[in-house]
This record gives sequence, C-alpha cells and structure tokens, in this order.
Amino acid sequence: MSIDDGTTVANDRLAGREDMIVCVDVDKWYGDFQALKGITATIKEGEVAVVCGPSGSGKSTWIRCINRLEVHQGGNIVVDGIELSNDLRNIEKIRSEVGMVFQQFNLFPHLTVRDNITLAPIWVRKKPRAEAESLATELLEQMGIPEQAEKFPGQLSGGQQQRVAIARSLAMEPRVMLFDEPTSALDPEMIKEVLDVMKELARSGITMMVVTHEMGFAREVADRIIFMEGGEIVEVGTPEHFFTNPTEDRTKLFLSQIL
Amino acid sequence: MPELNPIVVEAGIGETGPPQQGVNLSVRQWLRTNLFSNWFNAILTLLGVFAALLMLRGVLNFTFSENREWDAVRTNLRALMTLSYPESQYVRVWVAVGFVMALAGMSAGIWANWGGVSVKRMSTWLMGSGGLFALCVLLREPSVILDSEGKVLRTVEGSLQRESVWAAMTDRLGWWIAAVVLITLGAAIWAWCSEPDRRNNSVAVTTVVFSGLGLLVLSLWLVPYGHYAFADGTYIAVPGRTVAFSTKMPWTVMWLLLFGLYFVGRSFRDTRWQGIVRGSSNFLWLISPMALFWVVLRDPALDYAHVLSTDLPMGLAFGVLGGVLLWALTRSDLGEAGRLTAVGLLGFAVFNWVAAFFGLYPMLQKARISFLLVALAALLAPNFIGEVAKRRQLILGWLSAMALVHYMATMMNTPSTVDIQSSEFLGGLGLTLFVAVIVVLLSFPLGVLLALGRTSKFPIFRMLSTSYIEIIRGVPLISVLIFFSVMVPLFLPDGMELAELAAVLTGYTLFSAAYLAENVRGGLQSVTKGQYEAADALGLTAAQRTGFIVLPQGLRVSIPQLVGQVISTFKETSLLAIIGLFDFLRVANSVIPAQSEFMGVKREGILLVAMIYFFFNFTISKYSQRLERRVGLGER
Repeated sequence: MSIDDGTTVANDRLAGREDMIVCVDVDKWYGDFQALKGITATIKEGEVAVVCGPSGSGKSTWIRCINRLEVHQGGNIVVDGIELSNDLRNIEKIRSEVGMVFQQFNLFPHLTVRDNITLAPIWVRKKPRAEAESLATELLEQMGIPEQAEKFPGQLSGGQQQRVAIARSLAMEPRVMLFDEPTSALDPEMIKEVLDVMKELARSGITMMVVTHEMGFAREVADRIIFMEGGEIVEVGTPEHFFTNPTEDRTKLFLSQIL
Repeated sequence: MPELNPIVVEAGIGETGPPQQGVNLSVRQWLRTNLFSNWFNAILTLLGVFAALLMLRGVLNFTFSENREWDAVRTNLRALMTLSYPESQYVRVWVAVGFVMALAGMSAGIWANWGGVSVKRMSTWLMGSGGLFALCVLLREPSVILDSEGKVLRTVEGSLQRESVWAAMTDRLGWWIAAVVLITLGAAIWAWCSEPDRRNNSVAVTTVVFSGLGLLVLSLWLVPYGHYAFADGTYIAVPGRTVAFSTKMPWTVMWLLLFGLYFVGRSFRDTRWQGIVRGSSNFLWLISPMALFWVVLRDPALDYAHVLSTDLPMGLAFGVLGGVLLWALTRSDLGEAGRLTAVGLLGFAVFNWVAAFFGLYPMLQKARISFLLVALAALLAPNFIGEVAKRRQLILGWLSAMALVHYMATMMNTPSTVDIQSSEFLGGLGLTLFVAVIVVLLSFPLGVLLALGRTSKFPIFRMLSTSYIEIIRGVPLISVLIFFSVMVPLFLPDGMELAELAAVLTGYTLFSAAYLAENVRGGLQSVTKGQYEAADALGLTAAQRTGFIVLPQGLRVSIPQLVGQVISTFKETSLLAIIGLFDFLRVANSVIPAQSEFMGVKREGILLVAMIYFFFNFTISKYSQRLERRVGLGER
C-alpha cells in the first residue's frame, strides 16, 4: 500500500521501507469545531516523525486518533496494514502493536513500578509472569532506573515516572511508539533524562511519532518534521529543510516564536 | 506467656529524622498551649471538664445503682447470645465459634504484620486507667445502708438512706488500692523506658492481644464471677464461685485454638507453602458463613444410597467433562471456535432455565446451575490461554467450583437433624452477626456491579442500575424487610418455600447493595480519564481495565464510606425485630417468660447490648483506619 502524501521523503534511510501508518483525509470534529481537516500523511517503518505546531493545532488529536483514543469521523487510518474501524478486534490488535506515552505519564498509582510494566504483557500478550518480570527488569535497566522496581509511582520524580511510562509501553514490544508531549509536564532538569531515553529508542529503529516542542530533539533525531496549524498539515520536511529553509510563512512565524 | 516477636519500631526522633515538635513538652506546657492559652479557652476547658464529669457521674450512678439487677443479664447471657438454641446441641455453636477462632488465628499467623505497641504507650494506658478508676470511685454517690436483713434503709419520707461520703470512700479501699497500684505500675514503667536506650522498646500487637485474651480466659477459672443460669424453668444463682464449667472450658479451648493456630500459621510464613496457606485461609473465610450456618442450623441427614447413585456421579461427570472441555478451550490454536462454543453453551444453559419455567422437560436444578457455570467458565477461558500452569488454574478453579456447588446443593436438599423446638431457634448476637456478615458479603459484589452498571457507557445497563438504585433508596429499610417477609412468600409458586430468614436476608442484601453502589460510584468517578486512556493504550480489554485499574483505585478511595456502610448495616440489623425475628437488641428488650425474678428488668440488658455494639463497631472503625493507611489513601 502506498499513498502519496504530497511530500518526498528526503531521507535515504527510509527508501523502500514499508508504510507503517497511513492517514488519508482524516477529519475530526468536536461538535461544530473541526479539529482535523483532511490530514493525509504516511509514516514509514522505522521512521522518527516529529509533529510540531502551536497549541490547538490538532497535533495531539491526530496522534490520539492513531490508536483510537479519539474517534476520527472522516477518512481512513491504516496502522501496520490494519484499518481502524469500529471493529473492536482491530482496535485491540492495533493498541497492542502501538505504544503510547502521555504528557501526564498516567502510570497506575496503585501498582508498583514492576506491576505497572508487567500488567499488559501478562494479560494482553499472555506472557508467563517470570518472563514478563525479567523483561521489566531489563527495560528498567535500559531506562537507567533498575532500583525503582518495587516503588510506587507516587514515590518517583517526574522524569523517572515518564521513563517508567516509556518502559511500560515498550514492554508490549510495540512496532510503533506514539509520544504525546512527553516532556511538557516535566521540570527543566528532568527533560534531558527523558529525551536521552527517547534518542536511544530512536536509534534502535522503532517507528516513532512524537508530538513535542523540543526543537533540539527534533533537529537531532527526526527523519521528518511535520508542522501543523489549525488542524491541517502545513509543511513537511527533513529537519535540515525545516529549520534552515522553511517555505511556508506560518512555519517561519512559528519558528521565530519558538527558537 | 512466651514472647512472640518484639518488633522495634523506628521512632520519629532518630538522629537523622526531622525534629518533632510537641513531643518534649512537659505536662504543664502542654496544658498551657492546648487548654489554657487564653481566658476564653480556659473557661471552655473548665466547662467541658465539668460537663464530662457530670456525665461520667450519671453513667456511674445509673450502672452501679442499687436498682440495677445485673443478675438478670448474668442469668440470660446465653439467651442474649443464641436465644433458645437447644442445650443438648450446644456443642454445634462451639464448633462454629471454634472454627472462626482457628481461622482467625491461622490468618493472623500467615498474614498479619501489625508491628508493635510501644511500652511507653502501654504505661500511659496503665496510668490512665488507674486515674479513671480513682475518678470513678470519687464520683460514684455513696452506697445505701443495708439493715441486718439485707434490706435497704429508707428515711421517713421514703428516700434512700446513704452512708456518709467519708464512710463510702473508706469502704472502697480495695478500689483505691487498685487505682494506686495501676498508677504506680504505669509510672514505674514510664520511668524505666524513659532511658534513651529503652525509648523504642515495644511489644508486638499480637502478644498484647493474645495475653489480654488469655488473662480474660484465665480469670474465668480464678475470679468468682458467680454461677447464674436459667434452664428448664429453674433459676440458679450461686454467687461467690467461678462460672459454670460449660462456659469456662469452651472458652479456654477457643483461646487455645486461636493461639495454637497462630503458631501453625506463622510456621508456614516464608516457606513455599505460604501462598497455598494464604489462599486456602481466604477461601475458608469466604465460605465460612454458609458453612457455619450449616453446622449450627442444619447438619443434614444424608441418604447415602442417593448420594452414591446420583449426586456423586453427577458431580464427577460435570467436573470431568467440563474440565476436558475447558482444557480444550484454552488451547492457543483454537481462535474463534472457543468463543463460539462458549456462546453456544450459554444459549443452551439459558434455554434450560426457560424450559424449566414452562415445564418443557425435567432436569435437576443442580444440572441447570452446572450448565450455566460451564458456559461462564468457557467464556472466561480465553483469559487462561497460555502455558500449562495457567490452563491448569482454570481447570482447578472449575473443579473446586463444581465440588462446592454440588456439595451445597446436595446438602440443601437433605433434611436437617438439628432438633429445634420453636421457630425462633436462631436469635441474639448469633443472629445479628450472621445477618450482618452475610448481608455485607453478598451486597458487596452486587453493589460493585450496580456501580459499574451505573457508570457504564451502555444505556441499558445505566438505566437498569440507576432505576434500581433510585427505587430502593426511595424506600425505607423497614418496608423492604416487611415486603420480603410478608409479601414475597405470596408471590412464590406453589410448593416453593422461602424461610423467613432467607427472605429477610435477600431483602436486606438488595437494600444494602443500592447504598453500597452509590458509595462505590463515588470512588469510581474519582479515577481520572488518563487512567482509562493508559489502560486502553496498552490494549487491555474493558473487563481487564475495570478489574485491574478502575476498581482497585475506586474502591481504595471509597474505603471510608464503605466502612461507614458496614457499620450501619451491622447496627440496622436491629430492625429485624420489627418483622418478628429475635435479634440481639430485641432479646435484651424482651421479658423472658417464666422469670418472675426479673420482671421489667430491661435497662441492664440494653446497656450491655449497647456496649457490645460499640465494641464491634469501634473495632471495625479502627481496622479501617489501619487499612486506609496501608493502602496509602491520600498519599500516592
């Protein structure tokens, strides 16, 4: 399946890869307000796409449509060859393939860090407990917080909580990771520890879609930057193109405000 | 008394901890800052103390008045506990109590981690109770004067003649000594543990509880409480000796069971049997109300020929065939066929009930229930797909469910051997506790389901639960009880009978569930949207999301309200009196026939009942505070 999204993927790394997320003419209304206006875009397998734009531009809404936390009303979304529809089985299948990290972490406060991570692998992936727990230990080591396994989320700092949340998503061994402003609720000194983990992840070759205001991160690891405003995709390009030579006036305005 | 496990608790004033203010205030400083900080507070304090003393004096004079006939309570203690349970079968009651005691000891041994009570705190208890003793002795009005025949002397106007205050105080020398001993002992311990290295000394809660109970039981053998009884129309009163052997012996056994099983439970701790022992003790708690009801009230006379020819083979057949089916349904390569089979089975099971309703074909009720259970287990089967251990869980669960259901059904169909003289065989504290426990246990799952229904996104569930809750909440409990005891039997089909108690339990459970549902709903609504989204994003199914994420958090928040509900359920069992059951309070409030000695003596019994209610509810309340702390309510 290949749908031209009207842009060229400039990065050679992704040439010839399969399409992972395909959105065609996605519309979304909240009452009379149209949050998404005909979003069409394709994310390749292994691509790191950063979505940015002013607040209220619909970027969070779009990313939340991809694992159906929000229901889109028009157009098609296909993830890993599965079309998102009202079919519950498709939704469950896509959700177990797509990990998501939230702005507010949304860890389960009544479970220990270890139980937060092992819950879904055990009950959704039907993994034996021992295997899930060793995976959790491995992931926590990868996140740099192996000693926090028995604590409760409320006992951790924001940065640690967000890393646990990333580990929790990764424990499902997803093919796609969605990040919805993962550093916006963090104190400045904690942003770096989360971004470091995300950079590491980007290098591992997993497909990532990141809504963020961290332009440094975007410049360093993004294959493509998608700029949105008013529910539309305004400009798509490599970081090099986006930061040095943007074509649209709205992009230029946004960059002048944020950089 | 052996030392159990002294646990040293970290004090707040360690070298590294933050300084605690107020800990080192002297008594004078404390009084000044808290009670006499300005003239207005001083007046309030004095008025408050005066009012408290007046009330205490009133209670003392009422309780120890010469007009009180405490012998009435002593004599009828057994009636207050179990009403007219036949004396010859009384061992059943003890078996039931013993079972609970053993289970409690076992659970305490395998589960409890209650920490310790600091010795210093216990010394303040001693001093406090000594002070209270002294205060009571001071406040109680002087006793009446008896003449040589033991009759009270009256003045010419007819009022009681009392001894002088000085005489009263010297008469109560024994009490004074007791007060002084308590205060001295407390002060000595206080001084002893004020040394820096003893400040943190503490005794395990279990030691305190077991020794306290042990001392109580020991006092039954040593202290001349007096032997009072009323049996077969004769009133026995032997003051000055210890209680009857038939009272002190069972209680000693009860204490030994509690104490002994505690050690059994402890010996399994941290061994590989721990999980099994914990699981089975929880399971025993769960079935104990029904099981004990059996022991106390039924003890069926089994027809062994029928059991061997029908009941046993049927149970085995369902167990084995169902097990095989479930084993097949948990194969990982089955796919959709499993769900289809389960739905098919459910259809068949439901049709069985419909068929029974129209009398299409005969079928044993047991078989109908079993088919329904097979279908439900088959629906659950997809959750157990995986390695052998997981599949085995489902099969074991299935086999035990079958064993339980078939056992219960068989027992229910056999007549009882308990020899009951009247219909009011169960009453007193036994009835109150039984009803309270059953209603709380049964209304809990129902209430949770209703709360989930009311917050569900399916309009039909929401509508049904909401109207149920609103209708029940709009009706007083008494009318629900009357409806179930009087009206429901009229609606039942011919030949079907519902015991009064069962009808009332049903009504009370349905009533309580509606209130419980509202409390749980409050908790459910406190779970944030982000939690639902996180669960969804991980791919949990709706049921998993509810079971693992929403309910645990919602219930945690509703603990205070739920405990309030438990307490009021327990107290409101006294309304059972209205529909003619002899609950605890009604027994105390009734005139026992053929006891001319205690004509019109009620206040004593009611006072005792109030104290026992308070004891139970205070314990529940204390436990819930502990529970709240343990699940970290308001912390994480």
